[in-house]
Amino acid sequence: MLSAGVDAVLAVDEAPNPWFDGSYVADNWDTIMGYLGEHVRLTIGAVLIGTAIALPLALLARRSRLLGGAVLGLSTIVYTIPSLAMFALIFPFTGLSATTVLVGLTAYSLVILVRNFLVGLQGVPADVQEAARGMGYGAVRRFWQIELPLALPAFMAGLRIATVSTVALTTVGVLVGHGGLGQLITGGFNANFYRAEIVTGAVGCVLLALVADVVLAGVERLLTPWARAGRA
Amino acid sequence: MRTRIRVLAPLAMAVALTAACGESGSSGSDEGGSGGGTASGEACVPIEGDQLVVLEDDMELQNADNVIPAVNAATAASNPALLPALDAISAALTTDDLIALNAAVDVERQSADEVAAGWVEESGVTEGLEQGSGAIVVGGGNFTESTVLATIYADVLTAAGFDASVQEVGNRELYLQALKSGQIQVFPEYLSTVTEFLEDDENSEIASGDVDATVAALQPLAEANGLVFGEPSEAADQNAFAVTTAFADELGVSTLSELADACGDGSLILGGPAECPERPFCQPGLEETYGLEFDSFRELDAGGPLTKAAIQQGEISVGLVFSSDGALAQD
Repeated sequence: MLSAGVDAVLAVDEAPNPWFDGSYVADNWDTIMGYLGEHVRLTIGAVLIGTAIALPLALLARRSRLLGGAVLGLSTIVYTIPSLAMFALIFPFTGLSATTVLVGLTAYSLVILVRNFLVGLQGVPADVQEAARGMGYGAVRRFWQIELPLALPAFMAGLRIATVSTVALTTVGVLVGHGGLGQLITGGFNANFYRAEIVTGAVGCVLLALVADVVLAGVERLLTPWARAGRA
Repeated sequence: MRTRIRVLAPLAMAVALTAACGESGSSGSDEGGSGGGTASGEACVPIEGDQLVVLEDDMELQNADNVIPAVNAATAASNPALLPALDAISAALTTDDLIALNAAVDVERQSADEVAAGWVEESGVTEGLEQGSGAIVVGGGNFTESTVLATIYADVLTAAGFDASVQEVGNRELYLQALKSGQIQVFPEYLSTVTEFLEDDENSEIASGDVDATVAALQPLAEANGLVFGEPSEAADQNAFAVTTAFADELGVSTLSELADACGDGSLILGGPAECPERPFCQPGLEETYGLEFDSFRELDAGGPLTKAAIQQGEISVGLVFSSDGALAQD
């Protein structure tokens, strides 16, 4: 009876259904690249827009504890909305388009970005701020030349986490037909458990996240030469 | 995501194991309950076999889920060549075609594009079509049959002069909205499912096993929602009951009525999803409409691998499947 139960599961295996299949990737190269391209565009778009929104929010939140609490609380609440529900909520406004996914992903990136930006800004030593003010630096110049460089490691850490989590979340966009590599994952499940397709989508996501993280780590290294000099 | 896949296989295994356990338990209690275990005969015990065949639903127990093209009303009005092209597909498509298309993708692992192009080529539906123009987006659900149908629609519309593309979408709640608003213009729908969906009232059932009656019920709903439907195809993807060909040949049955006649001794074992013993389309319907009597019910899945394997391995005599399942392809 035990063997009968196992056989039942293996019914899907009657036709060869390997986990890894090079010919699947070769045959469907254009499709895979299309989904990969969409995945990359959505991720980059969401993180860039998220950064553009998170930075002013973090600067605002720094002004007072009350504002900071409000901004952080709000972005955290947004993060707790289940992603399936999020896309369904945005759908009436933007329809079955990639914009729906982009808006959702941007909203989710905010909680990570705002928090890390705020931590970075708060980490700038008060005496350094004071010295800058004493040297006659205005608010804008102080931000670009003093605070931003000092907060950069925290900023970059936030960007890296947000990017990796966005790569993973993009797959949920399948709901509106714009899930990037997620289309392969659900498509494979729905096509009689086509393992090669599922694995291609899943491994693609993991590789994309890794590559994005390595690239951002490289950018951080380039932007903070003083950190390297300090370690050497 | 990797973990999710690793988790799934053992999970499926566990489901199968518990299903096997439940079976020995239920048969034990069954004998205890009826007292005389010999009361039920042996005529319709399961017979193993790789090949499955659907028994005809001759008393129309199941709702008619024939493939029917759904089109945005404004698009249909401004493109007179659109509906005739889709109707040509409906006229040519059969359930056997659907089974073959699904088998080609789900079992033989060909790409949906190739399979769709192959059918369009073979069926010759593109000959003599009225020519239209303009961009048309065909929506397709994220499962094999819908993807293949959407691709067939797009291929034929392209042959009819349109600039057609396929947009994969998720669930009906979202894509019907998009279809009403014209973001997508065409969708391969299923007659009864979409009729019941458009008719919001969950307590009333207006779709039935009668294709023409259901189409008539669908028309006013379509108008109210800014949609137009083409001709329903003969091809249907609906609940069906399958047995092994060995079983059907042994008893000489091809319809559910014949099965009821042949299996009056109550030795049939039914397999299906957990809700089967309560749903009118499943066990109660089979008992009331056809007068079938079952020895026992085994809880499996809704037309999935477990049910199909259980029929093939002779654990159940008859199981709930979907009428266009690729596993029904005849060798």
